[in-house]
Amino acid sequence: MDALGNLLLGFSVALAPVNLFWCFVGVVLGTIVGVLPGLGPAATIAMLLPLTLKMDHTTAIITLAGIFYGARYGGSTTSILLNMPGESSSVATCLDGYQMARQGRAGAALGISAIASFIAGTVGVLGLMLIAPPLARFALRFAPPEYFALMVLGLAMVVFLAGDSMVKALLALLVGLWLATIGTDLFSAESRFTFGQAKLLGGVDFIAATVGIFAIGEVLVNLQSRAGGEIVKLPRGIRNLLPTLQDLKDCRFAFVNGSLIGFFVGALPGAGATVASFLSYGLEKAVSRHPEKFGTGVIEGVAAPEGANNADAGGALVPLLTLGIPGGNTTAILLGGLILWGYKPGPLLIQEHPQLFWGLVASMYVGNVLLLVLNLPLVTLFAQILRLPSHVLHPFIVGISVVGVYSVNNSLFDVWLMALFGLLGYLMRKLDFPAAALILGLVLGDVMERALRQSLMMSQGDLAIFVNRPISATLLAIAAVLLCLPALRWVRAWRSEAVAGEG
Amino acid sequence: MKRFRYSLPVALAGVALLLPHPAASQEFKPSKQIETVVHTGPGGGSDLFARAIAEMLQKEKLISQRMQVVNKSGGGPAVAMAYLAEKKGDSHTIGFYTGVWVTNPLTTVEATVTLKDLTPVTRLVLEPAVIAVKADSPYKTVKDFIEAAKKNPKQLNQSGGTVLSRDNLMRLLLQKATGAQWNFISFPSGGERLSNLLGGHVQMMVIEPQEAGEQIRAGNLRVIATLTEKRLASLPNVPTIKEQGIDVPLIPQARGMLLPPAAPKEVIAYWEGVFDAFVKTPSWKQYVEQNQFEDAYLKGAALNKFIDALKDQMREVLKEAGAKVIR
Repeated sequence: MDALGNLLLGFSVALAPVNLFWCFVGVVLGTIVGVLPGLGPAATIAMLLPLTLKMDHTTAIITLAGIFYGARYGGSTTSILLNMPGESSSVATCLDGYQMARQGRAGAALGISAIASFIAGTVGVLGLMLIAPPLARFALRFAPPEYFALMVLGLAMVVFLAGDSMVKALLALLVGLWLATIGTDLFSAESRFTFGQAKLLGGVDFIAATVGIFAIGEVLVNLQSRAGGEIVKLPRGIRNLLPTLQDLKDCRFAFVNGSLIGFFVGALPGAGATVASFLSYGLEKAVSRHPEKFGTGVIEGVAAPEGANNADAGGALVPLLTLGIPGGNTTAILLGGLILWGYKPGPLLIQEHPQLFWGLVASMYVGNVLLLVLNLPLVTLFAQILRLPSHVLHPFIVGISVVGVYSVNNSLFDVWLMALFGLLGYLMRKLDFPAAALILGLVLGDVMERALRQSLMMSQGDLAIFVNRPISATLLAIAAVLLCLPALRWVRAWRSEAVAGEG
Repeated sequence: MKRFRYSLPVALAGVALLLPHPAASQEFKPSKQIETVVHTGPGGGSDLFARAIAEMLQKEKLISQRMQVVNKSGGGPAVAMAYLAEKKGDSHTIGFYTGVWVTNPLTTVEATVTLKDLTPVTRLVLEPAVIAVKADSPYKTVKDFIEAAKKNPKQLNQSGGTVLSRDNLMRLLLQKATGAQWNFISFPSGGERLSNLLGGHVQMMVIEPQEAGEQIRAGNLRVIATLTEKRLASLPNVPTIKEQGIDVPLIPQARGMLLPPAAPKEVIAYWEGVFDAFVKTPSWKQYVEQNQFEDAYLKGAALNKFIDALKDQMREVLKEAGAKVIR
């Protein structure tokens, strides 16, 4: 009852014309920022922070939060159409989204990602509204051993990202893990694999690596095959572009999976949306009846990670608003904003400023509806990009990649890095190494190594710390089961072969 | 190309030089956007500090041009420092430094640019620090914690930043002074450091009072000592570490503003003027109070002396800590 009353208060704030207007501005800006690779929501919010000082504070946070979750909607667009992740959280979307686009189903992929984003975004807000304080308390039970176990679980999914050859997948994964170690080591402050380059002290930029491997690599492959010359057939009319009822049915589980994993992982301060999207993609593939089709353009493979990265936005606000703890860059700048506006973000914020919290929550319901309404018609518009002939499309992709990667750190070095990764991506495709496994290693390697070392420092080198703690033991057990699944499948295949042989 | 975009003021300046002017020394005033370099990503401590100052300078009408914050993160401050070094002599680029700009070059081979290679202009604040434990922990004083750590060497944990951070250097100094030993667990973000303390996975943290303030008020954290010379106004009942009988050198965490190498004299004078006026404004006073900083304005020779002294102190502390000091 209390929540309902508060929510009504929230809607009375969120539906005030001025707030509605700024919510709209926020989500539109977010969508644009999400579509363009490079410039992310954190940088955008930081730039706009001064403008919000003259606004009402609730209006200000409604606007900025709109950019935050709006960007998650937009991120999928270039992933699907151009194999170019718009945000790091939509890298997983490339895997099946781009393949769908190549089969002429770009519209369905874009549509399902908007729908999954809407569902998961709404679940995220529901979670934020209903279980934020207990969830925040539960998330506090996650210490380094639990993070390590979670990352192991993620890496176990490489089994599912493997193409035909497990050896090649593992090799790619190891390269990814190695790339993650480049830069200044957090624990010793010493530099690793930087080759004397000050610019590598901060590590390999994730956007540069993924855009290189996915987008540039793809362009190179297409250039060589000349098959890129054929234009992808695109059905006409919005009705034929959008996902069918069957598509929605196929994604039932993906919606739930993406929403829950995204929201929960989002609430952990040390993980983030990219991890969430890969975990949810892996889970989707693990429970699928046709896991072998993942990576060839299955719609669940788009819905799960896109859902996860949107629910993550709601989850990320949980520690921020209930404890005053930011989990990532974007929430850190929101925290800075709250302080600048004169609030004291912390455990008492919701209690002392109900209008701010409930106004934000209600505006996020509104914002998600706005984003769905905004994004579905955009599907038809964006899908037209694929009608471009390849001699226009390929330079266009390279151009956007260069600008996008440059704009992350204003660094030309990153652009060269992207070119290098483009070559790597090309070679990997030619030699049939799964790029996804490398990226997974790069995403999870950093957090995993850190968590492992932190855990062992806490336990004085005793590995028992991972199995003595219930949450980490459970997660590791699930990972072990996952690793055994393909083995079971081989055994079954072998047995049925043997039976067939006998008969 | 950039050089020609602002050809009008340049041309005017040229004309001005040709004219028989009695006062030849031109006063500097920024003629375009000021690139403001920080070493953290959006949302990091330096980033928020720079953005807040940019905002206040504009509000107080002390600068006529926009300050555009540029994030050059990576390798602690190394990437930002190298970038500023490349901007040698540029009069429209400034940066905001912290104490780690002094320590990082001391230990990192690739970090070839030192703070003194750049042109420090002001020191603005010193950030105080306190020692916090969970509110339900058995440690009521630093002595309690030290005794527990002595009884169980290397069993207690402290969360913090990198091994070069003030948190860890304070731990090393405390260990040396008392003979107790406990672990230091590095976390990349302040959020993780704090959530591991709140979750009870680590037992102690060196934290800034502003960051701890709300957790104390909500009854989640307890501060057992301040790492300051005098008690903090916001925590009048918490004794300083010296009051508790532990004599350790205190490491100041400074924040200030600087220019690229070989900054023209008139540009230095301009920024000194801006900040002379700025630190007297109510906006600044309120900001300092809100963030529980120590107002510590310095410039010129005094600033140079401070940086040299800090560097020497850091070198000693790092050596004692067993870090490889290379500069």
